[in-house]
Amino acid sequence: MKNPLMNNIELEFISSDILDDKKGEDKMKYILDRIRENKILVMEESLSSTEEAKLIEETMRSISEKFSGIEVSTLREKSDSGIREKLIKLLGGRTGGLTVIGPSKLIKQIKKEPKRISVWAERKME
Amino acid sequence: MPFRKFLGWFKGFFGKKKIIRLGLYGPPNAGKTTLANKISMDWTGEPVGKVSEVPHETREVQKKEKVTVKVGGKTIVMNLLDMPGISTKIDFEEFLQYGFSAEDAKQRAKEATKGVIEAIKWLENVDTALVIMDSTRDPYTQVNITIIGNLEARNIPIIIVANKIDLPESNTKWIEEAFPQHPVINVSGLTGSNVNDLYSAIAKYSK
Repeated sequence: MKNPLMNNIELEFISSDILDDKKGEDKMKYILDRIRENKILVMEESLSSTEEAKLIEETMRSISEKFSGIEVSTLREKSDSGIREKLIKLLGGRTGGLTVIGPSKLIKQIKKEPKRISVWAERKME
Repeated sequence: MPFRKFLGWFKGFFGKKKIIRLGLYGPPNAGKTTLANKISMDWTGEPVGKVSEVPHETREVQKKEKVTVKVGGKTIVMNLLDMPGISTKIDFEEFLQYGFSAEDAKQRAKEATKGVIEAIKWLENVDTALVIMDSTRDPYTQVNITIIGNLEARNIPIIIVANKIDLPESNTKWIEEAFPQHPVINVSGLTGSNVNDLYSAIAKYSK
């Protein structure tokens, strides 16, 4: 029987508590595994620049005829260059932020502004 | 003083000129190879690589070594490193639109993914970076932000190049507003317009 939701787009909101337990490659694998299931993820944290580069690397290793990559955008809620923010990070805290990420086959466009992300997504009828 | 810095100072002090590894970074089709060719032709008479309208034409780091640039009474020697364009997606079907066979398109996509990984790995090994942006497009993209963020994290001097100013829809203010923390030089790699300003900036900001 055909799944009535198969042509819909699934958004998944992920708490930072889940991501806190995952570091390095585990975190990238967790993200990419979910994206390959055709989900758009909204994560309650911003990725660091190093994590963004790592994510692009891992995405490139995953590219196939069926998976053409990702669209990603990060909002850093607070500047992470201030003394207060550095201190929060040093103590293991979070300075906020948000990441939207999904398969490039679904996300037609991401428009980023310093404090806002707009996403246009479309699923082709199967 | 870290050993690398000390070594650089020591070599400089005794007259051995440091060779700057100048990385040209940016998304595909920003005009990196066109600009690299312009710089290389100006100072060596030889190009660096082939230019094409097909994205991901550069799929391996292309080098031109010991390019000597003389500007404002200063002489700098650099190894030009023209990087493959960094992207978050590569769809082989995109290459079909440019007349590639399915097999060639898949092969090109595979090579392009390796090129992106290589460009990211090189982020740790450049002394100065030119981040090339197409001034006719929105510069506030995640790829540009990721490149700049990674260079900043490594304290690598960044010069943003607002390229393609020869096109009527060029909007360099867009780039200056998006990245006010870095110098922005407006050039056309194609016509060579303002490229002398870029040489002055390289001499000024390189370390």
